[in-house]
Amino acid sequence: MSQTNTADFTPTIVAFLCNWCSYAGADLAGTGRQQYPPSIRVVRVPCSGRINPIYILKALVDGADGVMVSGCHPGDCHYLAGNYYARRRFTVLKKLLTVAGVNPDRVHFTWVSASEGARFAQVVTDVTDKVRALGESEYKSRRGGERA
Amino acid sequence: MSVLETQAQKVRDSAKKLLADATAQTVIGYADEGVDGLCVPVFITDVKDVGRLVWNRRSVPNLASYLIGRKGKTAIVAKPCDARAVVNLIVENQIKRDDVHIIGMDCPGMTDAAGAALHACETCQVNTSPVFDERIENAEVKPVSPEKRDAERGLDENLARFTKEMEKCILCFSCRQACYGCYCQTCFMDRGVPDWHPESPDMGAKMLYHLGRAMHLAGRCVECGACENACASGVDVRYLIREVTGFVKELYGYDTGLSLEDQPAMLTYQPDDREVGFLGGEAHG
Ligand code: SF4
Ligand code: SF4
Ligand code: SF4
Ligand code: FES
Repeated sequence: MSQTNTADFTPTIVAFLCNWCSYAGADLAGTGRQQYPPSIRVVRVPCSGRINPIYILKALVDGADGVMVSGCHPGDCHYLAGNYYARRRFTVLKKLLTVAGVNPDRVHFTWVSASEGARFAQVVTDVTDKVRALGESEYKSRRGGERA
Repeated sequence: MSVLETQAQKVRDSAKKLLADATAQTVIGYADEGVDGLCVPVFITDVKDVGRLVWNRRSVPNLASYLIGRKGKTAIVAKPCDARAVVNLIVENQIKRDDVHIIGMDCPGMTDAAGAALHACETCQVNTSPVFDERIENAEVKPVSPEKRDAERGLDENLARFTKEMEKCILCFSCRQACYGCYCQTCFMDRGVPDWHPESPDMGAKMLYHLGRAMHLAGRCVECGACENACASGVDVRYLIREVTGFVKELYGYDTGLSLEDQPAMLTYQPDDREVGFLGGEAHG
């Protein structure tokens, strides 16, 4: 399916990060000089509950090789329950993507707090490894027209 | 008189009574005034017009969405799937229970012009209305067969199937217009920022539309088949939605439009919901 399935392929991964936890976790990873692959493109959102599933769909349809979403741990959402609603949406979304032919290893949901800089770096490394192993997105070649 | 014709007569009798004693200001039902015997929606407001109401195997359209935005009390001739749609519209606060009178029809299944069962009717799981103000019975309606889900396929096969269906789609949005659940004032596909729907509708736009719509109908689809009946391009419009709705049922134990009390699965949560497919969580089955 893919011609780019090599170790030096750097996938493009869109990362939706909650402002109150995972985005701060990413900051902490930075100030702590944690190394992680340069594969993610960060979109900062106010809460994981604010991520409309169609944003994730659009990222994939528009050619991202992977998507990663990270919010506050269950029970720790700044808005109390945003991540609980999000959890149901993401669970269903991942099922939908599988039925529509997207490898489930391209789409990752997790929880990272503001104090987990090292964990953030680890998550990005793991997600990147998984997506890299799959090569370019199944959807990329199905995109018609000019839009990249 | 055939069982169906008896049902039709009961619909007319009921409509007459509802209008005469002002229980309802309007009765929405079916008239045999379409092409090839296909019934069209009819709004009866005067007792002298009740003769236009019919009920037969071609009473195909889902009339539920006509209830949205109406003033006064409306009675609706509802197939079981349409009744489920009405229930879900009430649960989602689009209409009020007191504003609608549900004439729940036991349903023998609908057919196409050639008399073949419609796809959705072949796999129907609910053929008597779950909620109604009056029920119009049909003794010939049999209990339903066990639910059939698509067999699990490999990813490559899934992708090939999705691509094949999308190739047929011309993005006419008839499926959306026919669906009771697509009542958004402005669909995401009609928004300009970002350009969900580029000027030249390409494969990506079609994929986005159908994936987005499937997400929006997950746990809300009542399996009426109106979307697939509306498609002139022969797209299997419903299969993604059927899979995610089945998944919602499996995971959260929620079936759409069967009860006025249930919280819709995607509008609620449990603190200990399963994390299927999450990093470090359980794998998707
Ligand atoms: S998605 Fe199709 S089958 Fe489901 S409720 Fe809408 S029109 Fe009916
Ligand atoms: S596809 Fe989604 S946004 Fe569009 S009308 Fe249907 S529910 Fe609304
Ligand atoms: S699936 Fe059919 S009805 Fe729906 S937009 Fe495509 S062509 Fe139109
Ligand atoms: S505020 Fe972080 S997930 Fe809600």
